[in-house]
Amino acid sequence: MSDSKRISLQQAAEVIKHGSSLTFSGFTIWRRPFALVYELIRQQRRGLHLIEVNGGPQTEFLVGAGCVDIWESCWVGHELYGKYGANVSRKVGNKEIIVEDYSHAEMLFRFAAAAQGAAYAVTQTSLGTDIHNPDYDMLGKAGKRDGKRIAKHKYVFAEDPFFDAGAQVMVPAAKVDVSVLCVQQVGEEGTVRVNGQYYSDPEVARAADITIAIAEEIVPEEYLRRNADQNTIPSFEVDYILECPFGAHPTGMFGRYDVDGYFLKDFYGMTRTQEGFDDFAKEWIFGHDHMSYLEKLGWPRMLKMKANSAMNYSPRDKKGGN
Amino acid sequence: MSKYAQPEEYGLADLLCCAASREVADHEIVFVGTGLPMVAIMLAQKTHAPSLKLIFEAGTLDGRPPELPTSVGDARCEMGASRSSGLSDAFGVAQRGLVDLGFLGGAEVDLFGNVNTTCIGDYLNPELRLTGSGGNPDINSFAGRTVFIMVHEKRRFVENVSYITSPGWRVKKWPGGAFVHRRELYGSAFRGGPSAVISTAGVFRFDEESGRMYLDTCHPGKSPAEIRDLCQFDLDISRVAGETAVPTREELRIIHDVLDPDEIFIPKVKSR
Repeated sequence: MSDSKRISLQQAAEVIKHGSSLTFSGFTIWRRPFALVYELIRQQRRGLHLIEVNGGPQTEFLVGAGCVDIWESCWVGHELYGKYGANVSRKVGNKEIIVEDYSHAEMLFRFAAAAQGAAYAVTQTSLGTDIHNPDYDMLGKAGKRDGKRIAKHKYVFAEDPFFDAGAQVMVPAAKVDVSVLCVQQVGEEGTVRVNGQYYSDPEVARAADITIAIAEEIVPEEYLRRNADQNTIPSFEVDYILECPFGAHPTGMFGRYDVDGYFLKDFYGMTRTQEGFDDFAKEWIFGHDHMSYLEKLGWPRMLKMKANSAMNYSPRDKKGGN
Repeated sequence: MSKYAQPEEYGLADLLCCAASREVADHEIVFVGTGLPMVAIMLAQKTHAPSLKLIFEAGTLDGRPPELPTSVGDARCEMGASRSSGLSDAFGVAQRGLVDLGFLGGAEVDLFGNVNTTCIGDYLNPELRLTGSGGNPDINSFAGRTVFIMVHEKRRFVENVSYITSPGWRVKKWPGGAFVHRRELYGSAFRGGPSAVISTAGVFRFDEESGRMYLDTCHPGKSPAEIRDLCQFDLDISRVAGETAVPTREELRIIHDVLDPDEIFIPKVKSR
């Protein structure tokens, strides 16, 4: 059974259909499955419903390329390499996409609920804010709340019936079709080992119906099972695996390589207009595959980002990071 | 030679960073976001609050980064940490009520300390969509106190923010949206609220009962009346305690020689 979960990048992208709901591993500009994001753009996937604990450059690429109809999350930007998500901003302004806002903790709790098979999570965060403004239920306004994959309500208020702790907000489980992880190691049977902060990877993998793990390296399953306590996600939660070195670029990967800040700055600068995004996509995505993309980046650039194996990051040599 | 720097030796970002750093007490558990707040908190860690516990939202608990991370997801966050894990731990610790202080930013703030990081203009027809909430409302909902660091412009200190992303002292009670004191809504989770806004003009605090902002200290060279004119609401300037303490030379040395030598977040002043 050693090869049964292996698929190609092209096949991985085909797992995600027009109209699928989709989520990712990582955090803002770290460990995003870029190789697959680019492939989805090449395959011109349409109508995606992104549900993300937090967004980032991957959101901006997919939205810029017209792949996304609904973005449900709490944040998008490029951290210090670009202060907001210019594609999301432009397209929400033009009403080309639906944006549903939750808070960051609400999104995490929604995925945790889905991962536990619970219908909803309950919390006291963000009470009194416009996140709970009933006029700002955008999926409701668009008539999308069918009670199947998309919850009947954005949120519901309740009073604590157990300890009289006051107002609570219930937020629906984040039911999602596919999660795509980008990690350091996966075993042949699907066991995932994440090094460094695992962000919300365990929750998104368990919440999704199908999970694809893109790894820097596929390692013998037996190697990972020698130290099971160091593994992050169990084998049976991962349906497909593929090896894709530097697959998170331009985002970073703990212990392997840093964020490519110059790349993100250039991208952000060009995304102020749709034409700028299209030019960037033409240069870096269309007509490429993962290997020719890496070839275009070039070894010197990749080596500059390569993490020091004792420090887990690349020591800086220039203003603005690596 | 005075331990305090002369005006030509520091910039506004230095002043903000040092003022923010002084909001932290030793041994406190502090939740911190990316950017200038990160420099401020690491400055506190290397000066008067060596035992503070740093929490980074992406999943680092009691972090002691050897050098400045560029974001909270950065590998630098977790070097030397007590535990590195994920968001579930970071938000769990916060909702459990273990966080004393949060350091945050914002695009707009109102009289009651409500902060907006979501959009400028009508949410349904935005002039400009911003990043969105991130963890701003979560940290602010759960921490004992919150300090906001902001650029001071009249368009940012407004009567009503375009969108309440993060809750101040008087917030909206849904479904009607009438303003009520934060205490009424948060029940057992009420632990406090915004305790200071540190802008490029001065330091502002809140009267916890009325929930209203007042001017506490003016940055050097700014008068209370001048700062009141930089707000769209009627700022209370009757309680001004004086001038914001300027950076010490030692603080500037730590900021520029130790924490941020590459000027990632804080530019150096040429004359230093």
